[in-house]
Amino acid sequence: MRDSNDAIAWPFYVGSALALIVLVVPVLIVILTGLNAGDYMTFPPQGLSLRWIKSFLTSPTFVPAYLFSFGLAAATMAIATVIGTMAAIWIQRRGGRLAKILRGLFILPLVLPGVVIGLALYVFLISTGLPLARTFYGLLVGHVIVTTPLVIATVTAALVDFDRSLEDAARSLGATAWQAFFRITLPLISGGIGAGALFAFIVSFGQFEVSLFLSTPDLQPLPIAIYTSLRYRFEPTAAAAGIFAIALVVTSTVISARLVNFRRLFGGR
Amino acid sequence: MTEIRLDTLTKRYGTSTAVDGIDLTIGEGEFFSLLGPSGCGKSTTLRMIAGFVTPSAGRILLGDDDVTALPPEARDIGIVFQNYAIFPHMNVAANIAFGLKMRKVGKAEIDKRVREVLAQVGLEGYENRYSRELSGGEQQRVALARVLVTRPRILLLDEPLSALDKNMREEMKFWIKDLQKSLGITTVYVTHDQDEALTMSDRIGVMERSRLVQVGTPEEIYERPATLFVTGFIGHSNLIDVTARPETEGHCRVHFAGADFSARVRGALDKETPAQLAVRPENVIVDAETLPDGVVAFPAKVVSETYQGPIVRYRIDIQGTTITAERQNQAHRPRLAVGDAVLAGWDPARCETLLR
Ligand SMILES: Nc1ncnc2c1ncn2[C@@H]1O[C@H](COP(=O)(O)OP(=O)(O)O)[C@@H](O)[C@H]1O
Ligand SMILES: [Mg+2]
Repeated sequence: MRDSNDAIAWPFYVGSALALIVLVVPVLIVILTGLNAGDYMTFPPQGLSLRWIKSFLTSPTFVPAYLFSFGLAAATMAIATVIGTMAAIWIQRRGGRLAKILRGLFILPLVLPGVVIGLALYVFLISTGLPLARTFYGLLVGHVIVTTPLVIATVTAALVDFDRSLEDAARSLGATAWQAFFRITLPLISGGIGAGALFAFIVSFGQFEVSLFLSTPDLQPLPIAIYTSLRYRFEPTAAAAGIFAIALVVTSTVISARLVNFRRLFGGR
Repeated sequence: MTEIRLDTLTKRYGTSTAVDGIDLTIGEGEFFSLLGPSGCGKSTTLRMIAGFVTPSAGRILLGDDDVTALPPEARDIGIVFQNYAIFPHMNVAANIAFGLKMRKVGKAEIDKRVREVLAQVGLEGYENRYSRELSGGEQQRVALARVLVTRPRILLLDEPLSALDKNMREEMKFWIKDLQKSLGITTVYVTHDQDEALTMSDRIGVMERSRLVQVGTPEEIYERPATLFVTGFIGHSNLIDVTARPETEGHCRVHFAGADFSARVRGALDKETPAQLAVRPENVIVDAETLPDGVVAFPAKVVSETYQGPIVRYRIDIQGTTITAERQNQAHRPRLAVGDAVLAGWDPARCETLLR
C-alpha cells in the first residue's frame, strides 16, 4: 500500500520541489540583496552588512510608506472581512438564480487585470467628480474592491461545510437568530473568515496596480515607494524594504495559522 | 404533556404543494409517527411544527397556545435531527448546557441537570467528549439529552435512526420508545420505515403525496389499510381482482373464483363493481388436506417455494390467479412441494376490499 503510493508520488515530489524553488529563490535573492555590503543592487552580494537595513530604517520615504501600507492593509482587511463575510452568508442564504449571478459578479475583481480595475476606478472617480480621487479613502476603496472577493471565496467555502441544521438546533433550544449566528455559525466558519482576512491583508499590503493609479506622493504605499525609488536609483534600500515586507507577511501568516489551529484544537472539523 | 393540534396545515413552494391541509390532533403523551415515502412532506410538516418553516395556511396549536406565528426559540419544542446536529465546537456537556444557558439557568443548576440527564441517557463520563469522538448511537443520545434537559413541551424526531447501522437501530428503537414512555412526552416521529412506525407508535399517520391518508393505531393501519397506497406501503399484500356487490354498511359481497363471501369495505358502493381484495401473505392459509372453519377455501396448486429460515414463502395458483402465502417453518408442519395440489384460502374477516 505505502510502497505503491510512494511509486506514484515521485512526479509530485518533483513538482513540489520546482514550486518551492520558484517561490523561495527570488525571496532569498531579495533578502541577500538587502544585506549587500556594496553600493548597488548586485547578486551575488559583495559581502554582507546591515548597511541598507539601517538605510531603510532611517529612510524618510520607506518607513512612512511601510507604516502607511500597514495601516492601509489593516483597514482594508477589516472592511473586506466584514462585508465579504456578510455578502457570502447572504448569497448563500438567498440561494437561487440571483445568488449564482451575484457570485459571478463578486468574483469579477479576481479575474480582471489589476491595471484595468485601477484605471476604471481612477476614471470613475475623476469623471464623476466624487471627492475621493487621490485621497486615502479612494485608495482604500480600490483595495477593498480587490480583496473582498477573496474573503467571499474563503467564507463561501467554509459555508459549504457548515450544516444549517446546527443553527436550527440552536434556535429550537432557545437561541434567537442572532445568538445562533454568533454562538454556532460564526465560530464554525471562523477558519474561512480568518483565511479570507489574512489573504485580504497580504494582498492589500503587496497591491501595486490599483495603488499606482490611486496613490499620490504623500500617500505612498510601500510597493509604489519601492518602484519609485528603483526608477531613480538602483540602490539596495528597496531590497531591504522587501525584507521587512516579507517579514511582516510571514509573521501574519504564522500568527493566523496558529489561530486557526487553535480552533481545530478545540473541536473544529 | 401537551396536546398538538394541526389545523388545515399547508405549505406551498411556488406552484407545488409540500403539505396539503393536514388536520390532526395528537394526544397528550402520545407517540405519533408520520410515515410515508421520501418526499411526501413529513419533514416539512415537522419543520412547520418546530417553527423552521412558515406555513402557507393553517394553524399549529400546542395545548391552548397558538404557536403558528412564534419563532422556533419561543416554542419550547425539542427536536432531534437525522444527523443529530451536535455542535462540533462544543463538548458534550456544553452541547447539553446550551438550551439551559439560553434560558438563563444558573451555573450550579445547569451542572446538576447536565449530570442528571447524562445519567438518564447512560452517558456518564462523556462530558468532555466532542461529537467526532462519539459513535452514531452516542451522538443520538447526546442529541436527545440536549433537548430533554430543557424539559420541552413536545418532542420531534426526524428519521433519527436512519443514520445508524441495523443492530444499533434495533436497540435504539426500543430505547427511544421506553424513554418516551417514562417521560410521558408527546412525541412526533417522522420515518419512512414501516417497521419503526409499527413497533414504536401509539398511532401512525400515513402520508402520501403531501396528504395525510390514514390515521390509526399500528394494528388498524396494518390490518385495515384504507387505500391501495397504504396497503402497498405497509407490509406486503396480495391484491386479488374480485367483483364486489353492495351488502350491509361496511361490508360487501365479494365474488372470486366461484366463491361468494362477505368482506369489509370502506366507503359505500351502490352497484356491482370490480375491486381488489387485499390479503396479507401470512393470512393466506395453505394446507394439503383441510382448512379450518370460517376460511373460504379454494383448490390450488403450489407454483414455487422460497425458503427464508423462520418462514417459508409459497407462490400458490388459484384458477389462474397467483398469490403469495407465508407459513411458519415449524417441525410439526410438513413443507409443501412444488406441483402439489393443495387447499388455499383466507378468513374473510382478515381481508380488506379496496374499491378503485
Ligand atoms: N425549501 C424547499 N423549497 C422547495 N421545495 C421544497 C423545500 N423543502 C421541501 N420541498 C419539497 O417538498 C416536498 C416534501 O419534502 P419533505 O417534507 O422534505 O419530504 P419528506 O421528509 O417526506 O421526505 C418535496 O417534494 C420537496 O422537494
Ligand atoms: Mg425528510
